[in-house]
Parts: sequence; structure tokens; C-alpha cells
Amino acid sequence: MGLVVSRNRKNTYSGRHPIWRVLALLICCTLTALAQSPTDREHASAPFSVRATHLLGFENAKSNCNGTLSIENGALHFQQNGKTGTQIKVDSVRDVFLGGESKQVGGLPMTMGKAAAPFGGGRVVSLFAHKKYDILSLEYLDTDGGIHGAIFQLGKGQGEVVKNELSNRGVPVTSHQDQTAKQNSAEVSHENN
Amino acid sequence: MKTTKVSSIAFAAAIFVVAVALSPPARCQAVAVESPGRGVSSGQWSVQVDQVDSRNVDLAYSFQIAIYENLVDELNKTKRFEHIFREGDRSAGEAANLLVLKTTVEKYTRGSETQRAVTSVSGATKLTVRTQLVTRDGKVAFERTVDGNVRFFGSNLRATHNLAHNMAKAIMRSESEPPTAIVAGQL
Repeated sequence: MGLVVSRNRKNTYSGRHPIWRVLALLICCTLTALAQSPTDREHASAPFSVRATHLLGFENAKSNCNGTLSIENGALHFQQNGKTGTQIKVDSVRDVFLGGESKQVGGLPMTMGKAAAPFGGGRVVSLFAHKKYDILSLEYLDTDGGIHGAIFQLGKGQGEVVKNELSNRGVPVTSHQDQTAKQNSAEVSHENN
Repeated sequence: MKTTKVSSIAFAAAIFVVAVALSPPARCQAVAVESPGRGVSSGQWSVQVDQVDSRNVDLAYSFQIAIYENLVDELNKTKRFEHIFREGDRSAGEAANLLVLKTTVEKYTRGSETQRAVTSVSGATKLTVRTQLVTRDGKVAFERTVDGNVRFFGSNLRATHNLAHNMAKAIMRSESEPPTAIVAGQL
């Protein structure tokens, strides 16, 4: 008899448990969703800015100039140092691609200096005077539907941050991580050669 | 008296030499001015630049964008086309004489700026593309294979600028050649 009772109890418990578990899970999920969604929304609308070099293509911005790339009020904004900025709507951005590039530092003065250095000293300097950058490529549409492309050079690791920020704001980001990996490995192999 | 004569002859000779030296560019200019007046003046034509097709080559997307943007810039600089449209531009449909510029990447050698700076002989970035000007009905009016390289100084992306410059130059050169004239006849 005792055995029967204990079995029944087990059955009732085992019958109740899944319902409680499901209910508890639902409550947890709801609470988590409630707790997270305002943060995400705030995060998505929070202004964001990063130092960048505009290489080419961005609306009315000069090529190869340094400035600040920012995302604010639904617009992607690039402001040259000490000049008025230009912007495009974030909605018009059609795709974002991230790549990497290793470049020589110092620009033209450094190149001239290296060329003038005696006994091939400039070549030795070149061997160490390079830095890796993230290359962020954007594809966006103008008011007539024409396709534009823009390329920005950012510090290593910052490209990913900008890409995520754009992704949070609803920009479709094509997964081109492999491209970065491929480029970096190619660059490393070149440098090793 | 003799000295005056000699100096005047020398002056005349100098003028002659200067005139001869300056004459070839003047001729070139005349040809350049004439060419828009022939059969097909590209001034009456519009061109739509399509995005770069690199499906056969593993080319970084930044290079595709750079070629496209540089090409639009370089074609604008030539001032030979009435309008330069971008792919997807709705107003291109209203253009009377429209040519579509298609670019297919055939070969790409990825270089390294550091390698170029260190060795001076290796690490060149090389791009080879096939460029076509196609009419609305799909007839090829112009076709060339064009190269763009960076061998010594500059970043890898500079190859795209050189390539676009060479493409614009090739299109300019072909203006008075038969294919364009044939297109004019067809249209």
C-alpha cells in the first residue's frame, strides 16, 4: 500500500514539475527580455564616434583625410579635422564589409627619408615601420538609387566595433569575416617571405 | 652691322626652334578638339558604370569598391560623356544614348607595401580587368584588357586608381575607332 502511495506521489510530482518548469522558464525569459530590450534600444540610439581616415567614396568628403566617423540620430557622419562634416542616412547603407591591411607609417616624409638614408638603411626601417589597420567598406545608395561605395581606414580592432554599431542600428551586415582572415594570413605570409 | 645681322638670324632661328618644339602638342590638341565632332561624339553619350564583377578572382571587397569609385571619378574627369550614371540610378533609364560599362576582374596578384619598401623588386600589386562598353541591346561597342599596378611606392589600393586611370584612357583613345562608329550606325 505504502508503495502504491509513494508511486502515486511520484506520479503527481512528475506531472506537476514540467508545468512549473515551463512557467518558471517563461517568467525568466520575460524578465530577461524586459530587462534587455530597453538597454539595447538605448545602446542602438546612443551616439558613437571613432577616429578614422577616409580613403575614398564618402559623400563630399576629401579622400585620404583624417577625421571622426560617428553614428548619431540615424546618420553616419564623417567630420574632417577642423571642417564641416558630411553625412548619409544609416538606412541607406546596404552592406558593410570588413578587411585588413598592413601599411607603412610616416607617409611621404618618411618615404623620402628612407630613400635618402645611406647603405640601404631605409629598407631596414621599412621592415619595422608598418602597422595593421582595419579597412571598413560601406555600400550605400543615393537618393536616385545609385550605388556608392566608401572606404575608411580604422585602428586595428575598431572596424569590428563600427560594424557592430551599424548592425545594431539595423544595417544588414554580410558575413565577410573570412575576407579579413584571408587578407591577414596573406599579409603575414608576405611578410614572412 | 654684321653683328646685328647675326643676332637677328639667331633670333629668327630661335623662334623657329621654339615654334617647331611647340607644334606637336598644338596638333594633338587640334585632334582632341576634333574628335568629339566625328561620328559619335561621346559628349552626346551617357555611360552607366556597373559594379565590378570579381566572381572568378578572390578580390577583397575594398578593391571592388575602390575600382568602381575611381572609375566614376576618372570618367568624370574626361568630360567626354554627358552623364556618368552609377549602377542602380533610376534616371539612367531616361538617358537617350546610354552605354553600360562592365568590368570583370581577370587576374589579381596581392602585393605587400612592406615587401615593396624593403625589396623594391617584389611585392607588386597587380590587377588585370576586362572592360566592355555595352549598348542597351547588349551589343559590345568596346572591349579591352587593362592593367593597373603598384610596383614601388604607395598603398595596395593605389593599384585601383592606376587601373581606373588606364581604363578611362583606353576609352578615350578608342573614341574615334570603328567599334564606336558601328554602334552609332546601329543606334
